[in-house]
Amino acid sequence: MDEEPERAKRWEGGYERTWEVLKEDESGSLKATVEDILFQAKRKRVFESHGQVRLGMMRHLFVIIDSSRSMEDHDLKPNRLTSTLKVTCAASVNCTILSQIGIITTKNKRAEKLTDLAGNPKKHIAALKKAVDSTCVGEPSLYNSLNLAMQTLKHMPAHTSKEILVVFSSLTTCDPANIYELIKTLNGLKIRVSVIGLSAEVRVCTILTRETGGSYNVILDESHFKELLILHVKPPPASSSSECSLIRMGFPQHAIASMSDQDAKPSFSMSHLDSAGEPELTLGGYYCPQCRAKYTELPVECKVCGLTLVSAPHLARSFHHLFPLEAFQETPLEEYEAERFCEACQGELKDKSVFTCLACKKVFCVECDLFIHDTLHCCPGCMQTDRMS
Amino acid sequence: FRLNIEGLLVYFPYDYIYPEQYSYMLELKRTLDAKVCYNPFIKLISSCMQYAYPLEVTKLVYCSRTVPEIEKVVEELRKLMDYYAKQTGVKNDFLALALSSRKNLCIHPEVSSLRFGKEVDGKCHSLTASYIRAQHHSNPSQPVCQFFEEFDAVGRQVPIPPGIYNLDDLKDFGRRKGWCPYFLARYAILHANIVVYSYHYLLDPKIADLVSKELAKKSVVVFDEAHNIDNVCIDSMSVNITRRTLDRCQTNVETLQNTISRIKETDAAKLREEYRRLVEGLKEANVARETDIYLSNPVLPDEILQEAVPGSIRTAEHFVGFIKRFLEYLKARLRIHHVVQESAPQFLKDIYEKVCIDRKPLRFCAERLRSLLRTLEIADIADFSAITLISHFATLVSTYSKGFTIIIEPFEDRTPTIANPVLHFSCMDPSIAIKPVFGRFQSVIITSGTLSPLDIYPRILDFRPVTMASFTMTLARTCLCPLIVGRGNDQVAMTSKFETREDFAVIRNYGNLLLEMSAIVPDGIVAFFTSYIYMENIVASWYEQGILENIQRNKLIFIETQDAAETSMALEKYQEACENGRGAILLSVARGKVSEGIDFVHHFGRAVIMFGVPYVYTQSRILKARLEYLRDQFQIRENDFLTFDAMRHAAQCVGRAIRGKTDYGLMIFADKRYARADKRGKLPRWIQEHLTDGSLNLTIDETVQLSKHFLRQMAQPFRREDQLGLSLLTLEQLQSEDMLQKIAQIAQQA
Repeated sequence: MDEEPERAKRWEGGYERTWEVLKEDESGSLKATVEDILFQAKRKRVFESHGQVRLGMMRHLFVIIDSSRSMEDHDLKPNRLTSTLKVTCAASVNCTILSQIGIITTKNKRAEKLTDLAGNPKKHIAALKKAVDSTCVGEPSLYNSLNLAMQTLKHMPAHTSKEILVVFSSLTTCDPANIYELIKTLNGLKIRVSVIGLSAEVRVCTILTRETGGSYNVILDESHFKELLILHVKPPPASSSSECSLIRMGFPQHAIASMSDQDAKPSFSMSHLDSAGEPELTLGGYYCPQCRAKYTELPVECKVCGLTLVSAPHLARSFHHLFPLEAFQETPLEEYEAERFCEACQGELKDKSVFTCLACKKVFCVECDLFIHDTLHCCPGCMQTDRMS
Repeated sequence: FRLNIEGLLVYFPYDYIYPEQYSYMLELKRTLDAKVCYNPFIKLISSCMQYAYPLEVTKLVYCSRTVPEIEKVVEELRKLMDYYAKQTGVKNDFLALALSSRKNLCIHPEVSSLRFGKEVDGKCHSLTASYIRAQHHSNPSQPVCQFFEEFDAVGRQVPIPPGIYNLDDLKDFGRRKGWCPYFLARYAILHANIVVYSYHYLLDPKIADLVSKELAKKSVVVFDEAHNIDNVCIDSMSVNITRRTLDRCQTNVETLQNTISRIKETDAAKLREEYRRLVEGLKEANVARETDIYLSNPVLPDEILQEAVPGSIRTAEHFVGFIKRFLEYLKARLRIHHVVQESAPQFLKDIYEKVCIDRKPLRFCAERLRSLLRTLEIADIADFSAITLISHFATLVSTYSKGFTIIIEPFEDRTPTIANPVLHFSCMDPSIAIKPVFGRFQSVIITSGTLSPLDIYPRILDFRPVTMASFTMTLARTCLCPLIVGRGNDQVAMTSKFETREDFAVIRNYGNLLLEMSAIVPDGIVAFFTSYIYMENIVASWYEQGILENIQRNKLIFIETQDAAETSMALEKYQEACENGRGAILLSVARGKVSEGIDFVHHFGRAVIMFGVPYVYTQSRILKARLEYLRDQFQIRENDFLTFDAMRHAAQCVGRAIRGKTDYGLMIFADKRYARADKRGKLPRWIQEHLTDGSLNLTIDETVQLSKHFLRQMAQPFRREDQLGLSLLTLEQLQSEDMLQKIAQIAQQA
């Protein structure tokens, strides 16, 4: 009964009943059910529009990743940790630009800050990639990690939405003090805690999320996991009590200087001040409109004057959260009688349903519908009519 | 809302109703004037019969098993009454109350601080007995209970205001008025409309005689959680006599003798008065029974009421001498070196030959002793429990020639070297104790979540049910997952069968099962073993193999012991560990306190593991005698009864986890014998329905996989809207045509 040996081989893994979901149709073929499952999976994402709700666009979010013993479980392939990190990477890229993310891991009853709150996803992705190789040992401590996140978040201004997202794999937590006290404090600080459970419903998480107004979900499989995480990318509605304030932002121009230019002097970027990497001399960069400090990457908070520096396209990308594209109307293929081709990809409509934009009445296939809502955030049909008029 | 059930208007205090509840009420309405045997799913259902109640019958006696259950029923009632008052606008004068022992009701500062029920009873007696109070009149320094005095002075004239009283309400009321809540409640049940109490108050002849004998004939009696009712009946009629009992009895007799001689010097008239009364016989009692005021008492058989107390034990000294002789005889009988088993007539014959004690005076023993104790004004009845026990034994053994057996064992089976003689006077026929109840009351309803199979109950309790029905439950999602684990990963069969239970591989596999489950089940797991000894063995062996250590990395471990205080401590800590996310395992024993009375709602019990089949200890002579009796009298085969008994306890254990439709839990039966049809078929219907062929005889690996899947499914958001229309109905839905048809299928007439 010693510690579970490394079970890397597929055939040594757990016993699964993958066939149970599949059902034969009348002719005894599995094809129909397989297609149905795929179709369902595509449509599962619910486009719930908040209507006219204030969204907490300025987010300060700590992601707490459990990296305790239970993360070595193989029910997500290749194991829970790798899968989690992969999914989180993907999600953090999509996160809105106005939000700042930090990552905390917890193992061996301790919590450790992997990255500090920062707006730039590159750093997080690098850190997460590095974490894949770390070993998972001991028990997680919900208390310690929440406490660590809270220490930073409580100094954040009141107009921002303060959030913690816990990816919790273990079923136990090893806490140094009563966690219910901490939950009360979190509630007082208006920090919203959401939990994604990887194995089952744990009571303390239920209470934690209920008290702080977050959501609690348990994953069914990998794709469900991804979906749940994507849901968290969307900014949550702001609580009515949060303040309104104007925020100063700088939109620095990228100054390009070529090597041939004699006036250009190579200089260090300000963001290298605290990074461990080799400082690099560069010629061009973004200059803060207020203090002329140089940065090579955006978005960033100016180290000198504290101004948030973003680029206009970045800001525009956050826009769609405020005005999401309305869901298209779904109609079964049989009832649809016009020409059967998709407005976007020009392909033939073969799926069970077709999707009609309510504004321009153009018709799209499932694939394009998803692409439009997830990535484009605007209807190509409407754009076309706009231009024509 | 209001329901109309076949012409009867029922007020229902909730917005939604379970289809089973409706079906249950329907069945109930059809048969309210008869003896019924039901099998509902949850507590709520059984209390919904009260909803139908106010228009039908005059009095409802609701018997449940534990104090928390009693409290729950009272709370339901309160909701109903509030709703009823709101709907009709009439403030009805309706009295419902809960009754429990002195220990739970006493408000006397000194007495209530005592820890054991017996101490409380004794102390209370020493403050409230009539002669103590008489002494108090002449000598005010003699302490009495002021609460009782107050109640006695005014309490009986002023009726308790109508309303719903649970135990705390009674205490509050008592404190406000300065009245003793216990005696108040006992007095108030006579005119209360609904009485909720433990079923000992009705079944145990010793208590029933004091508390329940004046209940009106037209009452409706409900036994809830009645799957164990036969054992309660048997226990209440059985007597165990050890050497210690006899020794204590000896001292009692001496005390009696001294008191008698003292009284003779001071107050001989009193004894003469008693003598005169005894000559007249128990006429009074007889008149009372004939006019049908009292519930008959099985310890006080009808015949002896017709006659006067026989002359040989009429005077006090003679009676004491008689008891002494009887005592000596019992002592002699206990001085044996081999096991003796005999029937009541054999015993009587032997006693006649040896010490010339006739059957007739023996029969009057209990009654005579009571009269004597009353005459002698002995305060502390608790001290005289030994002699009272002996007198009950004497009466019972001479009254019933059938249904009882006498077993004298010189030592316990486990410790054959230590002499510890015990005389078991064991009742084998539960119908003796319950007969007066069936005989007296208009309707008797027997109901529980785990009455299964239904048809065995009428047979062992000897009655003809008017209706028997078992209800399935309608679920919006399958919230229970029964799994039968038969093998370990090494394919060695897992079973607690006697031959293999000490097998190393079996113990290891049980350990592995618990270890694997502890890693995937959140919060609380409750594991049941078949007996304390088996649990000790297994846990010791797990400790040696290091399994316990591994389990403890996932969850904390708590163990139920035979000590009640220790167990409740463990339980408290267990719940705390579940609450704050540490997770815990409770190791307990089927038939123990935990398996019978304690609910593990939601996170307190996400999985129940039943290690082995909880058969009774089959080598016990008492059990053997009972089995023989069952076979001869009721044609129930030994094996059938044993399996039935084991399965009802197993069902009881696993049923602890699911206490409502929003709850969910795994039920793991870890023994390959559960997969057999004869065992499986005896599980309650609501479990059987979810036991598919795919979940029989699993290995540990398969179990883990299925459990993981189940737990993930159940963790998905589940709202009330999902239940509506399926397992939760509004009034409109209820009245739709096809729903009524569905409901008709829920009740399965057995």
